[in-house]
Amino acid sequence: MIIPRTIRKFKERIDHRNGPYGYLFEPYDGEEVVSLDCETTSLDVKQGEILSIGAVKIRGRKVLTSDRLDIKLKPPGSLTGDSIKVHKIRASDLVDGIELDDALEQVLEFVGNRPILGYYVNYDIRMLEKFLRPRHGFGLPNKAIELSHVYHDIIKWKAVGGNVDLRFDTIASQLDLPILERHTALGDAITVALMYVRLKFGEAPDAHY
Amino acid sequence: MPTSFNMDNMPFSLLNESEQALLRASLDIGYYQRGEHILTAGGEPDGVYVILKGRVSESEPVEQGQTEHVFVHYTNEDYFGGWSAIKGKAIHNFVAEDETICHILPTRVLLDLISTNSLFADYFQQNLAAKSEIVAQHGGDQDMAEFMLARVCENTIREPLVVDEHASIHHATALMREHKADCVLVQRGNRYGIITGTDLLNAVVLDGKSVDLAAAEIASYRLITTTSEEYLFNALITMTKQQIERVVVVDDGELRGIVELTDVLSYFSSHSHVIGLRIERAGTVEALREAAEGLNDLIKALVSHGVKTRFAMDLLAAMNGRIMAKLFDIMVPRDMQPHVCLIVMGSEGRAEQIMKTDQDNALIYRDGLDWPEMPAVMQAYSETLISFGFPPCPGNIMVSNPAWVKSLGDWTQMLSDWAQRCDNESLMNLAIAVDGKPVAGNPAIFKAGRNWFLRHLSHNDVFFGLFGKAALEFDTPLTFFGNLKDKGELDIKKGGIFPIVHGIRTLALEKRVLATNTFKRIEALIADGHLKEKDGRDMCEALSLFVELRLRQQIKRIDSSQDGVDQTPNIIELQSLNKMERDLLRDALQIVKSLKKHLTLRYHLGN
Repeated sequence: MIIPRTIRKFKERIDHRNGPYGYLFEPYDGEEVVSLDCETTSLDVKQGEILSIGAVKIRGRKVLTSDRLDIKLKPPGSLTGDSIKVHKIRASDLVDGIELDDALEQVLEFVGNRPILGYYVNYDIRMLEKFLRPRHGFGLPNKAIELSHVYHDIIKWKAVGGNVDLRFDTIASQLDLPILERHTALGDAITVALMYVRLKFGEAPDAHY
Repeated sequence: MPTSFNMDNMPFSLLNESEQALLRASLDIGYYQRGEHILTAGGEPDGVYVILKGRVSESEPVEQGQTEHVFVHYTNEDYFGGWSAIKGKAIHNFVAEDETICHILPTRVLLDLISTNSLFADYFQQNLAAKSEIVAQHGGDQDMAEFMLARVCENTIREPLVVDEHASIHHATALMREHKADCVLVQRGNRYGIITGTDLLNAVVLDGKSVDLAAAEIASYRLITTTSEEYLFNALITMTKQQIERVVVVDDGELRGIVELTDVLSYFSSHSHVIGLRIERAGTVEALREAAEGLNDLIKALVSHGVKTRFAMDLLAAMNGRIMAKLFDIMVPRDMQPHVCLIVMGSEGRAEQIMKTDQDNALIYRDGLDWPEMPAVMQAYSETLISFGFPPCPGNIMVSNPAWVKSLGDWTQMLSDWAQRCDNESLMNLAIAVDGKPVAGNPAIFKAGRNWFLRHLSHNDVFFGLFGKAALEFDTPLTFFGNLKDKGELDIKKGGIFPIVHGIRTLALEKRVLATNTFKRIEALIADGHLKEKDGRDMCEALSLFVELRLRQQIKRIDSSQDGVDQTPNIIELQSLNKMERDLLRDALQIVKSLKKHLTLRYHLGN
């Protein structure tokens, strides 16, 4: 039975509030946001496996690249030719990767109850939840911030009637930001973080499309 | 940040692999909007900022309403804020001119890297010193960590002992002993007089005054004063010039305290006053020679301590002047001294030489003076100076040359002949002569000649046009687009120093400014409204930058050459300058260019 996500999250919160991960369910009142990105073997959550996870904290207008998460996982069986072409991670790059259990543990500790920022962030969150739920019985309760929505909300006033181009590279070039290491989890997380800070604090970019 | 940070740039390329890893692991990224203050003067910086993208300006904090004075711009891959980070407090405003993304290296990690990697530390700190030096020149009074630029107010002022005018000599002496002081101030109405230990001894022992006499009777009321804002260095120059051992600090008519020579000396490692004292005490030519030999070392020490070149020049000029005066005193008979005046000319007269340069001097004597030994004495005088290490003038402008030993009448005649003739040689001689400054003998003789000549020239626009034209003789080494022309090296004297010095000389001559030092001339021209304050200040900055750069390269060449002689004293090698120095040099040359334009318009020098 498919339980609506909100109800499920509510139930999980009741169930786990007093458990060892109770802190994850506290409402967050700080000013930090975590920008998170996963590299996976597939864009389909059901089939995908996580290869690496990158995350970095944002405090105010600063991207705290010194406080970051850069995890490589053991190569999963599904690492095949197609996805290798995208992220250029081969099995041999992952030989010193860590177990998924440890990785999830680190992610939970790093993220805490902060909002999670990402580009198509729901994909990353669902990917993590796919592995998290069987182990701990809950999904990520954090508030999610979708970068393309933030961008869209700002740009739409300037692009009346038009479709806003929400491609990653387009957003980056519209914001006149350098793309740092596209297709590594950490690099994307940092780029997204920069875009977010730029959108939050900078002038609205012009809409060219 | 894994790879977005470029490790190939100095000084980060000096780090080894593990240090680079530490650096990478510690970097943060900051985002700043246009116009945002990344650092505000006085604020605490997070660390060193390395620009990933954008543009940042560094400027002096200003009161409201004043225009901001920007020292330098930083762009991609430049770093800034290092000095502030090490000090823990920002010294200037750093403002994002465009949207800017910076890597931030936290201070803690910076200090770790400095302590583990000596090469990195050297580069970093040396560069900071160079930077702060240039910044200090720009700001006029910006902080230079060097104690040399300590101000009088900081911690050298002693509480003055003050007695009222009825106090007896006995009381004053007792008070001095109690406080272990060796001078006391006497208040008489709202004036102060000073009594030193020597004054007391002279009064009681030599003059047989009673110890019950009011101390006010023996005090000296002509106080040499300074202000608490003054540089300690200038206080030292005052003491050296006046041959006294303490100056009184007065702010807006209010007594603040006393600065003692010993306290000042403890600030200076290079014994400038010790040399001064030795010059003063020298009774023979031999003793004087020994004192004179210390001067070059003194200058080197001052420059390596980062003392502003302008102050070093002031001090050196004061010292050289006193050596010449003392030698004059030793060699010229007492009874002749009131009738003659020794003047120094050229750079020496302008007090703008650093290393000992050619002696350009002349002697003016009273009309009708009968002194047959004069040529022989002057010959010996020049030779002695040469033996002291003052090189002879290649143009033979020395007192050993009878052409430069003139009676007042002949002297003024010679000047006006030159002004009349206006050929190249006359103009060159005039340029040297109008920078003349009396150093020994009777200065009134020189002043009479100078004042006559200035009056003689007034409103002679044709002369000023011809005279000023020399300032345009050499091209400014900038391209059409305003960049540095030569990739390799440039002659800074022709390209920068001479046009400013000569241009200002022409203006000063026309406006009858009596000062001979170019900086003082500029100040005087500003004060009289002949020069806009901003332009004048720019010119001062440009000139001191030229002199500073030239001096640094001279010292380097002298140190590396075998015989200690610099063959190309006016050449600046551009490769050995860093990016910021090159930028500053370019801006300074722009100022020269605009001065030339001004002269062209002023004296109708269009070609």
